[in-house]
Amino acid sequence: MPNATFLHMELAQPTVLASGILGLTAASMKRVIEAGAGAVTTKSFNTEGRKGHPNPSILPFRHGLLNAVGLSNPGVDEVVKEIRLFKKECQAPLFASIFGRTIEEYGEVTQKLVEAQPDLIEVNVSCPNVRSEFGTPFGDSPQDTARVTEIVKKYAGNIPVSVKLGPHGPGVGRMAKVCEEHGADAVTLINTVGPGMLIDIDVRKPILSNKTGGVSGPAILPIAVKSVYEAYEQVRIPIIGTGGVTTAEDAIQMILAGATLIGIGSGVYYQGIEIFRKIDRGIEAYLERYGFSTLDEIRGLAHE
Amino acid sequence: MSDLMKTYPILRIKEHGPGVKSFYFERMMDALPGQFVNVWLPGLDEKPFSVSALGDDWLEISIKAYGPFSNAMMRLQPGDRVGIRGPFGHGFSLHDDALLVGGGIGIAPLRLLAQRLAAENRRFVALLGAATAHELIFADDFKRWASGCFFTTDDGSYGQKGVVTQNLLSIIESEGIRFVYAAGPEIMFVKLKELFDPLDIPYEFTLERYMKCGIGICGQCVLDGSGARVCVEGPVFDREALKDVTELGLPHRDASGRRK
Repeated sequence: MPNATFLHMELAQPTVLASGILGLTAASMKRVIEAGAGAVTTKSFNTEGRKGHPNPSILPFRHGLLNAVGLSNPGVDEVVKEIRLFKKECQAPLFASIFGRTIEEYGEVTQKLVEAQPDLIEVNVSCPNVRSEFGTPFGDSPQDTARVTEIVKKYAGNIPVSVKLGPHGPGVGRMAKVCEEHGADAVTLINTVGPGMLIDIDVRKPILSNKTGGVSGPAILPIAVKSVYEAYEQVRIPIIGTGGVTTAEDAIQMILAGATLIGIGSGVYYQGIEIFRKIDRGIEAYLERYGFSTLDEIRGLAHE
Repeated sequence: MSDLMKTYPILRIKEHGPGVKSFYFERMMDALPGQFVNVWLPGLDEKPFSVSALGDDWLEISIKAYGPFSNAMMRLQPGDRVGIRGPFGHGFSLHDDALLVGGGIGIAPLRLLAQRLAAENRRFVALLGAATAHELIFADDFKRWASGCFFTTDDGSYGQKGVVTQNLLSIIESEGIRFVYAAGPEIMFVKLKELFDPLDIPYEFTLERYMKCGIGICGQCVLDGSGARVCVEGPVFDREALKDVTELGLPHRDASGRRK
């Protein structure tokens, strides 16, 4: 079982449940840990909570998933209760994913969140599904991303901060560098891609209620691997590589590109909740086959 | 079966009474009793519904007017297209000498179960309750297939006046019941659980929760206490699977994830 050192944490496995998947309640996240994940990330939340978009909001297509859940969440006060409940029953690290409609809201939600003592705060600046309400994501602008990173760091105290970026904007390597320069302890790469759209040809309308949504799943793996590869050349802080990982081979690509942890999201749809254990065993077999004993030995090897 | 969205025209509609209708579609999938499909009304929303019956070439979904979605369904006409994908989830297991307990529109998933039990020549008894006579849908089917039928209505307009739980234990004893299936309001499950657990009677209940995806990833329908996903490990849960569930009978989480 390949364990992973990430910042100050020791994870029993290098996989982490990605934000937006099975991360609403303590019971759900506990189950994911029992299924073999090294850590979990909550669904993104803000101060007041949101209802999100009507359904259909999550839609499989032949090569992936299209989603526009619309940042539904019960608000920071409810999430704090669930985090406390999780921490009472689980030793594994919990990452809390936050968003704000304004830069100031990132600060407010961080201030309320710290009492729950998550092991990491993941800052979602790259959700592609709320443009009509929120405007262009902060993650598309180096200046806004810098300001969000600073304000979260200001209130996070000793809790480390990872900024979750999309593959768009002015270049993921450069954006990761901006995050590092403004105090981020890690970056999470990548959010969903697009947005994209699917149309029902019989009723001749977009299927998602939001019309457009972020693309995840196998279709985006190459974009995620390339993003991690690019950022690894620019920053020294660790990278959580997320996007389209459904097999151990996909996860190994991420590590070879430079990821320290592997985020698993849509992969749960493709492989079931057993995916965490499957990937863990596959990575272990790979290390053994090539005579490596730790993940550190293969991290970033694709660059040499 | 398919998780992918596809729309189908409504072939015909049967009105059971005010605000209770069955919708018939081509038989685009097989479904086990207790499994559900996601129904999409373009421009409005998508919601889970159990399959109430399957014919050689048709599939039936039965809906009671309740909120904006089901009321919009009531206005549809044959030929209108709705999206249907599935089947999703884990259905009922099949047993002999069973009692089917249905409350209100909860009778719908039991209709497919009864059809299947009858096809396998398994003996069963039905105990069905509703607010009023016309909400006791499929009464004739149950009478045809079950070896015994008991009906209750809140207003006494059909069968005995009262609720299904009132004569339950005497029926179990007199009919030699060895397994109980239940579908309907969750408060009924709480009562049934209280009655059955001390008597060691095995059961399966079918649960409802707000869902976004139906495919086990959004986390919206995960049960507190057990961590089970209603859309994948459910919606049918047996006694063992319900043992650790701490939210039975509590208000459900809404779209934001907040428990009301």
